Amino acid sequence: MEFTLKIERYDPDTDQGRLQEFTVDAPETATLLDVLDVVKDTVDGSVTYRKSCRMAVCGSCGMRMDGAAVLACKTPMAPLAEEGRVPVISPMGNLPVIKDLVVDMDPFWAKFKAVKPWLEEDDRPPVKEWRVQQEELDRIMKEALCIQCGCCVSECNSMEADPDFLGPAALAKAQRFVGDARDRDRSERLRTLNGPHGVWDCTRCYFCNQRCPKGVDPRDAIAKLGAEAFRERLTRDEGAKHAKVFVSSTYRGGYLRETELVPKTIGPIGAITQIPFALQLARAGKVPNPLSPHKAKDNAEVKRLWKLLEAQTPTTRERATRGADGAGA
Amino acid sequence: MVRHDVVVVGAGVAGMRAAIEASRYGADVAVVSKLHPTRSHSGAAEGGINAALGNASEDSPEQHTFFTVKGSDYLGDQDAIAVMCEEGPGDIYELEHMGCIFSRTPDGKIAQRPFGAGGAPRTCYAADITGHVLLHVLYEQLVKSQVTVYEEWFALDLVMDGDRCVGLTAWDLVHGGVQGVEAGAVVLATGGLGRMYRGTTNAYACTGDGMSMAWRAGVALKDMEFMQFHPTTLKANGVLITEGCRGEGGYLRNAEGDRFMFNYAPNAGELASRDVVSRAEQTEIDEGRGVDGCVLLDLTHLGAKKINTVLHGSRELAMDYAGVDPIEEPIPVRPGSHYHMGGVDTDVWGRTSMPGLYAAGECACVSVHGANRLGGNSLLETVVFGRRSGAAAAQDVRSNGSGGVFSPSAVRVAERRIAQLLYNFDGVRPHVIRDELADTMYSNAGIFRTAEGLEQCVADIADLRERYRDGLGVVIQDKSRTFNSDLIQALELGSMLQMADCLVTGAVARTESRGAHSRLDHPDRDDEHWLRHSLTSYDDGQVALDYKAVTITEFEPAVRTY
Repeated sequence: MEFTLKIERYDPDTDQGRLQEFTVDAPETATLLDVLDVVKDTVDGSVTYRKSCRMAVCGSCGMRMDGAAVLACKTPMAPLAEEGRVPVISPMGNLPVIKDLVVDMDPFWAKFKAVKPWLEEDDRPPVKEWRVQQEELDRIMKEALCIQCGCCVSECNSMEADPDFLGPAALAKAQRFVGDARDRDRSERLRTLNGPHGVWDCTRCYFCNQRCPKGVDPRDAIAKLGAEAFRERLTRDEGAKHAKVFVSSTYRGGYLRETELVPKTIGPIGAITQIPFALQLARAGKVPNPLSPHKAKDNAEVKRLWKLLEAQTPTTRERATRGADGAGA
Repeated sequence: MVRHDVVVVGAGVAGMRAAIEASRYGADVAVVSKLHPTRSHSGAAEGGINAALGNASEDSPEQHTFFTVKGSDYLGDQDAIAVMCEEGPGDIYELEHMGCIFSRTPDGKIAQRPFGAGGAPRTCYAADITGHVLLHVLYEQLVKSQVTVYEEWFALDLVMDGDRCVGLTAWDLVHGGVQGVEAGAVVLATGGLGRMYRGTTNAYACTGDGMSMAWRAGVALKDMEFMQFHPTTLKANGVLITEGCRGEGGYLRNAEGDRFMFNYAPNAGELASRDVVSRAEQTEIDEGRGVDGCVLLDLTHLGAKKINTVLHGSRELAMDYAGVDPIEEPIPVRPGSHYHMGGVDTDVWGRTSMPGLYAAGECACVSVHGANRLGGNSLLETVVFGRRSGAAAAQDVRSNGSGGVFSPSAVRVAERRIAQLLYNFDGVRPHVIRDELADTMYSNAGIFRTAEGLEQCVADIADLRERYRDGLGVVIQDKSRTFNSDLIQALELGSMLQMADCLVTGAVARTESRGAHSRLDHPDRDDEHWLRHSLTSYDDGQVALDYKAVTITEFEPAVRTY
């Protein structure tokens, strides 16, 4: 079967970039990685990308196809060729490009290392395994699927605005430990993660969930971290306060009251500095009347929904016990 | 030029475990790897890791030892197997305390499932992504231990002072240029070589680089002729479907719907050892009872719930690479090259015949797998002997110091060679030779072997090595020094050609059938002549063959049936 694609080339020696089109023959079952291999073997050996396992577990071949991050080895090409589409293959976003489709992963790993990515437990030598219920471990199984390919980071809108934002991959890794019944560093982790560039800087665009090739759902992991922080009463960050006002405001009136959102998020003094901005919004007709009650018609239904949600939220967690000769200790 | 007490080459489970252990002994440790550690192929191990914890049934290290010895077709060294099986449970508990998410029993202990020819449910697992979970846990510990990692450095050659290994040269892939890496001791943990075969479960990176480095330096390789073919791999690209599928109760069926395994292994059926199952499948296919060159792995009777919890990864792979949902229909599978039992000849501490050089994991041959490895024993080998070789290397440095002088000329020689390769414009593209090699290995050194086929293979490899001309017979089109993966692939081809030569030389000579080495012209095991390890050594670029005795302690060789 014939496949045509365009590859965004970048030559570090000359600092020149260009878009180059290739047409090659490959089996109908070919993935994007297979097609790139045929290009490299038979047309141009200087086309450069990372690869290894070709079974979506090593995380080497993250790149973009038509602007969206994919694992090349998990992307079948026949459907595109049948439609006559000529995809543009480019390097992942939010990371510096080294050459062609290869990006510098150092900033990615620096954030990974910043979340203290290892289990903290007591230092006594292990005698037996920790006794943990399967249901407890299931809570972190999704995060444990992560292969650190960087597809989520590539697509992260918050990181585009703030390159220091920890980002979806590192935060999902953090949740893998925060949610681990054996970890004893949970509170300290949550305190750090609730600081600047942390949990609350996510804009909830859900691109990470959408583009993750392994179903890790990093945004859900970030949400879990936020919920854990609330449980630990870590609500001093502006992002946390913002979330709190959302909760209390909608609980009371069924609607969000924008006029209380700003002062309660950034404080009365901060709110005063925002008055010119508010007036600008008002002139554009984007501020609701602050004096109207702004209540939903059937607030009772809203409250019933809240009760339902609360009932589903687990309040207690079963911790792990140290297994020693069959007995917990 | 960099200098460390212990330098580990390769960053899969064995390499990282070695590095962590050496650093616990207070050594200054570095890891050199052509891939970032989490890209290593250990992460593709699916089904599990064996240890006699006794959580699912009565079990003991002695039982584990016996079934491993039997599985090895009595070629495994029994002292080494006993070490692995006795120390295994301790290593599992340690991994669990490092954070490994093992699946659990209802009372919260580590769950265990049966694997082929194990004799008991002994395989600990993390759903069907055990290798992935282990690899990432060890990387976490590596980060914690602050070991230096030289990522994307491709190891070129060992450097010696007299007969002692004092380091290596490596090509820095990202920045270009040869780096000298001086070391008090070197641990090779570079994995396998399955890529020399067409139809393999192995990653592109599995090209036998570490083994070939050792071989060129004069260290003997052991039992190279033994290549395991895994019974359940996908037709399109060779991707592995775990033995855990059969461990959880999956069936193998032929085109007529029969569970044919009971014709070959009346007691164990689908859970016979891998060599037995692969031969049975190939026989079914060859005799016309296959489906498009495959047999069928049927999981449909297990139900969606079980498949989605403990075999979730296998379902994803079958859907992505075979277009089949195993909840609804059986997966077409066939045998593919999977695991290489042979490797650098070591003792139970990873020591090789060269002072200062150690090896662990698939690139080593201790030997604990003999002629056929049991499923679940390879991850165990990596942690047990990774740990042991790390400890031995660190102690070696403590007692012997640096041990020698690293001559800077080694870096200049390597630079000159790379320059020659880059500025060669005369020859074929590497893939031409690579594909011919993979074809002849598949056709002539596969599941069933004959003198005729193997001799053809020897001739083919000689021809290919001549055309490759130590790299000067292939054209590297990328002339840049920055991230030149074209250069790396040409170098990897060199490793594969040398290792294929060793493998086939051993296979031609061994006129018997034992474990994974199955000769149609010599169908029986011949203990009188062949109950011995083969040793392949470097002799002026060619392969010299020698033998050494197998260590037998407790279990006298017996007829092996399942």
